[in-house]
Amino acid sequence: MTNQRPLLPTAVVGSYAMPGWLERLKTDYFLRRISRHDLDEIHDTAVKAAIKDQEAAGIDIVTDGELRRDNLIDYFALRLPGVEIDHGSKKFYYDFFDSVIRGKMPMATLGLVEDFRFLRRYTDRATKFTVTGPHSLVKRIRNEHYKDEAEFALDVARALNLELRELVKAGATYLQVDEPYYSGFPEDLTWSIPALNVMVDGVEAKIGLHVCYGNRYGKPSWEGSYRYLFPAILEAKLDQLTLEFARRGVEDLGLFREFEPPFELGLGVIDVKSHTVETPAMVGERIRRALDVVPAERLYINPDCGLLHLPGEVAFQKLAAMVEGTKIVRGEL
Amino acid sequence: MILHVNFLPGERAGAAALVGEVVAALESAPADRRMLARLRVHLDWIQYRQSFREAVAVRRAVDCRGAAMPLVELAIDVRQATRAGLAPALAAALEREPGGVALESFGPLRASVIWGFNTLFWQHVAAWEAVSGRPFEHVLPSGRSDANHPQAIADAVADFWTLLRDLEMRNQLPPEIFVLEIGVGTGARAAQWLDRFRELDAERGRGFYPRLRFLLSDYSSRILDRAAQAVRGHREVSSFIALDALNPFKTLAFLRYKLLHIHLTNVYDNLPTDEMVRKDGRFFAVETRAYLPAALAAAIAEEFELPAEELARTIGKFLGVGPDYFPDRRRGVEFWQAVWRAVRLEERLVELEDLAAARLPSGLDPAHIEECVRAAPAEVRFHLSTGAVESFLNTVPLLHPRGFLQVQDIFVTDMDEYRQGFRGPGKLDGSVVNWINGALLREVGARAGYDVHFAPFHYRPDSRTKILYTTQRD
Repeated sequence: MTNQRPLLPTAVVGSYAMPGWLERLKTDYFLRRISRHDLDEIHDTAVKAAIKDQEAAGIDIVTDGELRRDNLIDYFALRLPGVEIDHGSKKFYYDFFDSVIRGKMPMATLGLVEDFRFLRRYTDRATKFTVTGPHSLVKRIRNEHYKDEAEFALDVARALNLELRELVKAGATYLQVDEPYYSGFPEDLTWSIPALNVMVDGVEAKIGLHVCYGNRYGKPSWEGSYRYLFPAILEAKLDQLTLEFARRGVEDLGLFREFEPPFELGLGVIDVKSHTVETPAMVGERIRRALDVVPAERLYINPDCGLLHLPGEVAFQKLAAMVEGTKIVRGEL
Repeated sequence: MILHVNFLPGERAGAAALVGEVVAALESAPADRRMLARLRVHLDWIQYRQSFREAVAVRRAVDCRGAAMPLVELAIDVRQATRAGLAPALAAALEREPGGVALESFGPLRASVIWGFNTLFWQHVAAWEAVSGRPFEHVLPSGRSDANHPQAIADAVADFWTLLRDLEMRNQLPPEIFVLEIGVGTGARAAQWLDRFRELDAERGRGFYPRLRFLLSDYSSRILDRAAQAVRGHREVSSFIALDALNPFKTLAFLRYKLLHIHLTNVYDNLPTDEMVRKDGRFFAVETRAYLPAALAAAIAEEFELPAEELARTIGKFLGVGPDYFPDRRRGVEFWQAVWRAVRLEERLVELEDLAAARLPSGLDPAHIEECVRAAPAEVRFHLSTGAVESFLNTVPLLHPRGFLQVQDIFVTDMDEYRQGFRGPGKLDGSVVNWINGALLREVGARAGYDVHFAPFHYRPDSRTKILYTTQRD
């Protein structure tokens, strides 16, 4: 395992390009045209390819591309103990299931460790493993038991905490919590950050938090400024905050100067909502702008968000450009 | 033989008697009797005063290798067909392919020469109106456009206002409020909308009006000049942009995710389209060939003193130049109107090996169509709404995450409606009109991240207009 990280390590945020054929096969599974066994084999093959693509592009920290997941919610909702799923409620793999909690959530792990072990088996690179956070899950799972979302989120966080601990036991050293719904519901930070802290409590790994403006169907779900995160986010037990800057511009970098958060910054330098491939020079310039605010030792380089909605070739070229641009800046340090 | 009565018979239709005549005529028709077992007869009421159909037309079919198939359809327009004329028309249609002057070869409807006529109409609408002596809007079923209904506009402004207020309360309202109308025409609707918006702003004192950036768009700067007059009282907040309704993103890419509201009225029904048929478990593409019936072609040639054999070529040149092709412009328009009245479409069905192998229009994939026909009747002919789909997919990327698209038009919102009446194409003055497959747009929208909804246009009794609006799909 190569865990010696260079300065300005490059990483993906989580997902890799979802091939059209895989989308069709996932949907075929929902329509009972292929078996679970076949789908599992297909997923294994796709994940191996995604890992190798990231390696070939020169990425330092790779993920499994999240290609087993239908979307950011269902993979977890299906595994969270006590959550009931209406399996007939979606006709296209990317849709959300109707899911509901009708009683107190029992505490049990989710069984994600196998996915992590699979990732480790097929790469020597450093790895990151991503998990959707309690706020986003609570926003999508209908609550028919808890008195409010805050109480529900705490139990979700406790279950996720068990899972993160299992992942650490299996060797995970870098875990990322995804909370794209923060930007749509800034007023929820009062209870969602305490829930996040419960989720990562006692987890002995680097903890990142990814907050974007949504990437559902490859488009933003909200617009605005990251200012809403501050100062509340300073209470979060985090090592890293991963944000999008390529599409939205660097104005919000000033927040790192203004509030001086103790976290590393995962800097989004690739616009995942555009098929236009950035040049290495463009990436380099974006990194230099961030270096004015955050020291190189605390800066990670990544796309704005997951690459799920990009064609495979575009995703690969964007990662390759990101790696090249990062190399240029490393040479200047 | 299977007889399809694709409309709800009324007193005027006289369908019952006509059905008897059809059967009698087929008994005595000189057609191959073996054909009868496979024959489909479709009785339609063509709702347009002018259409591309003869009273009786035959649709033949070819397989995916181009070989003739035994499948034959008879299409009868009950509005045109008379009991006396039916038998000879039927015999003639079965006996031979339509003669006359072909204006093109068989191909997809979206590529037909009729769209050249349609473009010409919008380029020279003033010249057309001058000769016909009435404004275009007077040929609409209600004699006026639903686009300009004051209450509909007031309600649309109020809905938009609610959105702005909600965004402002959440500190998510952008500093500039971008609104786009595609196909503004005279600018009458835009003017009413802006008047009402300013009025509401004054009443409620939120200060949204000065932040408004209203973009009026149409395909030509000449039309925009006319629209500019209509909105001259809102000069500070209005901009004028010539763009292709098929691809607004091409012109406005710099406004990606910025537009809070986009509106279109009667644009989709005027964009190129294609049709598809599902029959006997197989899919067929409908191909068309524009032609002028022999008698009408001869009359036009005589009236305009043109050699009959040169007519097709002359029409081709005319479409490139416009009414000024004739030394006397008025005479040019008269020629154009005569030709347009005469243009018919011959149709044939081309079997598709499967949907995956079909050359589908841009933006459509087999999954959209499969999903759409899942709930459709087993035998159905439907629009692919090629231009509407293209326009929709090239418009929604401009929407702000909380923004919405609103389209007033004639939509088929349930596939079952396709067997309850004729849905186009027809002629509306010098333009082409088609219903739009809303059910398909719903599928296309869902895959693009938008839920597509339809509401009735309840502001005018008996209006066929519906209002499409989008919400963000979670």
